[in-house]
Amino acid sequence: MSLLRLENVTKRFGGLIAVSQVSLEIAPGQFVGIVGPNGSGKTTLFNVISGVFYPEEGRVLFEDRDITRLPPYKRAPLGIGRTFQIPRPFGSATVLENIAIGAMFGRRDRSSHVRHAFEVADGLIERLGLEEHRNKEAGGLQPVEKKMTEIGRALAMRPKLLLMDEVMAGMHPSDIDRMVAFIKRIAGEEGIAIVAMVEHIMRAVLGMAEKVIVLHQGAKLVDESTEIALSDPRVVEVYLGRPRRT
Amino acid sequence: MVLEQLLGNLIQGLVLGAVYGMATMGLSLIFGVLRIVNVGHGAFIMVGAFIALWTFNALGLSPIVALPLAFVVGAALGLLFYYSVIQRLLQAPELATLLVTFSMGVLLQEVVKLIFGSEFRGYNWPVGKLDLGLTVLPYSKLLACVGSAAIALLLYFWVNRTRAGTAMRSVVDDRVGAQVCGVNVNRVFAMSFALGIALTVTSGVLLTMFIPVGINPYMGGGYTLKAFVIAVLGGLTSPYGAFFGGLVFGLIENGSYTLFALIPGVEPFALTRFLSFAMLLVILLIRPTGILKAK
Amino acid sequence: MNGSSKYAPLIPVAVVYAALFLVGRYTPGFWQLMATLLFYCALGQAFNIFLGLTGYVDFGYVAFLGIGTYGMALCVSRLADHPGLGWGVIALGFLLALVMATLLSMAVGAVALRLRGAYFAIATVGVNEGFRFLIEGLRIWNGSEGIIFTAQLNQVLGRDAASAVSTYWADVMVLVIAVAAAVVTLLYMRSRIGYALVALREDEDAAKVMGINVTKYKIIAFITSACFAGLIGASSWALKTPYVFPPEVFEIHYTIEAIIIVLLGGAGTLLGPIVGGLIYGISKYYLAVIIPGFQLLIFAPIIIVIIVVFPEGVVGMLKKKTRHTALGRYII
Repeated sequence: MSLLRLENVTKRFGGLIAVSQVSLEIAPGQFVGIVGPNGSGKTTLFNVISGVFYPEEGRVLFEDRDITRLPPYKRAPLGIGRTFQIPRPFGSATVLENIAIGAMFGRRDRSSHVRHAFEVADGLIERLGLEEHRNKEAGGLQPVEKKMTEIGRALAMRPKLLLMDEVMAGMHPSDIDRMVAFIKRIAGEEGIAIVAMVEHIMRAVLGMAEKVIVLHQGAKLVDESTEIALSDPRVVEVYLGRPRRT
Repeated sequence: MVLEQLLGNLIQGLVLGAVYGMATMGLSLIFGVLRIVNVGHGAFIMVGAFIALWTFNALGLSPIVALPLAFVVGAALGLLFYYSVIQRLLQAPELATLLVTFSMGVLLQEVVKLIFGSEFRGYNWPVGKLDLGLTVLPYSKLLACVGSAAIALLLYFWVNRTRAGTAMRSVVDDRVGAQVCGVNVNRVFAMSFALGIALTVTSGVLLTMFIPVGINPYMGGGYTLKAFVIAVLGGLTSPYGAFFGGLVFGLIENGSYTLFALIPGVEPFALTRFLSFAMLLVILLIRPTGILKAK
Repeated sequence: MNGSSKYAPLIPVAVVYAALFLVGRYTPGFWQLMATLLFYCALGQAFNIFLGLTGYVDFGYVAFLGIGTYGMALCVSRLADHPGLGWGVIALGFLLALVMATLLSMAVGAVALRLRGAYFAIATVGVNEGFRFLIEGLRIWNGSEGIIFTAQLNQVLGRDAASAVSTYWADVMVLVIAVAAAVVTLLYMRSRIGYALVALREDEDAAKVMGINVTKYKIIAFITSACFAGLIGASSWALKTPYVFPPEVFEIHYTIEAIIIVLLGGAGTLLGPIVGGLIYGISKYYLAVIIPGFQLLIFAPIIIVIIVVFPEGVVGMLKKKTRHTALGRYII
């Protein structure tokens, strides 16, 4: 059974085709990278999966259930979580509260109740190393800490699928390896499938991925295991252009 | 007989609608460029009305002279509010600008009340009238209508033919892109806000040419609602849409008054005012929520 | 979060309200002032449940005060002739006020709450006016003449009791409503509802993706806020001055006051509306001596300054200062 399946999804904005006939499949627990330059439709694709947009054509299936037109707030309890490129934790709430909110409204279980949600949040704060920021307002944190808070919030939702948008944006290169390893470890422990979206070919992220999907101008170019995908000449062309005939 | 009355009222409605439309252009302009809803809109119209009142009663000058004066006062007010308050709230949550523009309106009301008192006042500008058979149009009303249309046209030329207007359009299309091209976005904002307020205050003068009575510090409230209906009718961001929305609104308002007056047991004036509000809700209901929800 | 500190914030609330009551009751000549302060605090608490918790502003809020007034007025005037109901008429009046406020808020909410931020504000701007003109236009409930029910109130309660109600018990009822509003606010804040509201207030799109049905929670806050307003209208307006007159009970002036009270004290905090109500009420009372009718001239610029410089209000700032101290448990 696939966790997430897209069938011929097309999303248009007026005359602009942002996503064109994209089909893909993500298995439970899989770590997938989606790569594509700016304007290739990655963010729109994420928005279609999380329910911010509904596609004009095609279907989105989660655990074989058609969620194409399901409102976003109903997708979270099914197990779809998301982080954003520019971290947007709830600024006036504390780190603890942010993560607790994730637990309260995510996948339904005992943590839907406030008290248990805070217990879950406490546990996650330890794992994420955010103890010293526990009671600080999320709005006043450094970007890295905001990112961790957002990840914590998403993890508290107990997702089966976590969409990570430009997860390494703005991060110091030395932090990236650590962050990716951390994510991979937690995802492995919880059995979470991760779809990490990156704009550039980042060995750090893609090295962890089991397969890579490359998008170009809204359409899927390549969908292969990492090694094959990254050595595909079409991918190189998309990023570096065709070699000049001299 | 009823038909004649209806047609006569419709003509009046069209004429008034032009003024209403012009009165809403400032609102749409400010929202289109700055994405700010001026909830205190009616109060600025009221200021214009008082300027007309004052120039006529205290200075003995015709309201036509009040027009440029109102424009200047409006622009000054707009710049003042922009640089002292609005500029600091550009990054704040939406709620902040809603409440601040609302409070500006309240402040204006109170200041005018302090200066002029809260009684209802008016002025009488005897300029003769035009008899159209179906209805009689005092020249003052005709002038208000023509004036409104003229200003709308002037705005059109300014937006499309001048450098400043082009800068404004670029900011509406793509704020960041405009910045990259060297447009001083903050100055465009200030100018647009000032222009929007100036248009609104000027429209107050034109409004008194149409209805030269009932001028009091609290008259703005009713016009704020009407302006919102018209703005939403016309698409909220386009000043020209607002102008045509105004015409439509004027027609509906006057037409409905005639029809309501035919129904026994209701009060047509109150019902017409209820209609403005109902129109707002209906438009907001039937328009696909996608358009209105988009930012 | 242990049980005892969960309700700690209600202690300052109880203290202030008890103080207001005792000062008013036992200091000669002060009851009127205390009653006015209680009104403003109650109004602020009710309004805060929506404005403070959701971050949306309903410019037509006074409509709910007005409809609550009508609820009580209708009950008293229509049921006065039924013998044996006695005080039950008053109880029914409150019930009707509640029902009517709920219905009106559901009707308005059905259209307006689907809209975002500024569009919602636009939709609500005319609600109070619109409803007033509907009543006048269709001559519902006596149209623009309103309802005078002094005689019926005397009939239902007996002259002396009616007088006691108008001058004392109605205000006590406002106190009860204020306390109830505070309790409900705290209950909301500490529950899923409160956290959902924090999320949607901060970032509505992120909240949706986190699994929060934002419309549902907006509606909950909206209806709750409207219901309290209805009760306040039924009590402080209908029972104190037994007549209801459309232009008076749908006046935007009260919405302005509610906004000032909530912003001044601190939107979204529990104690904010109380502090705001006290500051505004006392200032207005004493300003009336110097410059009657012009308190808004002073407060409008104050509010502008607050929005720009101190958007969190008095209690908001206090909250920040006391966050990590022992006092912090009581100030939220």
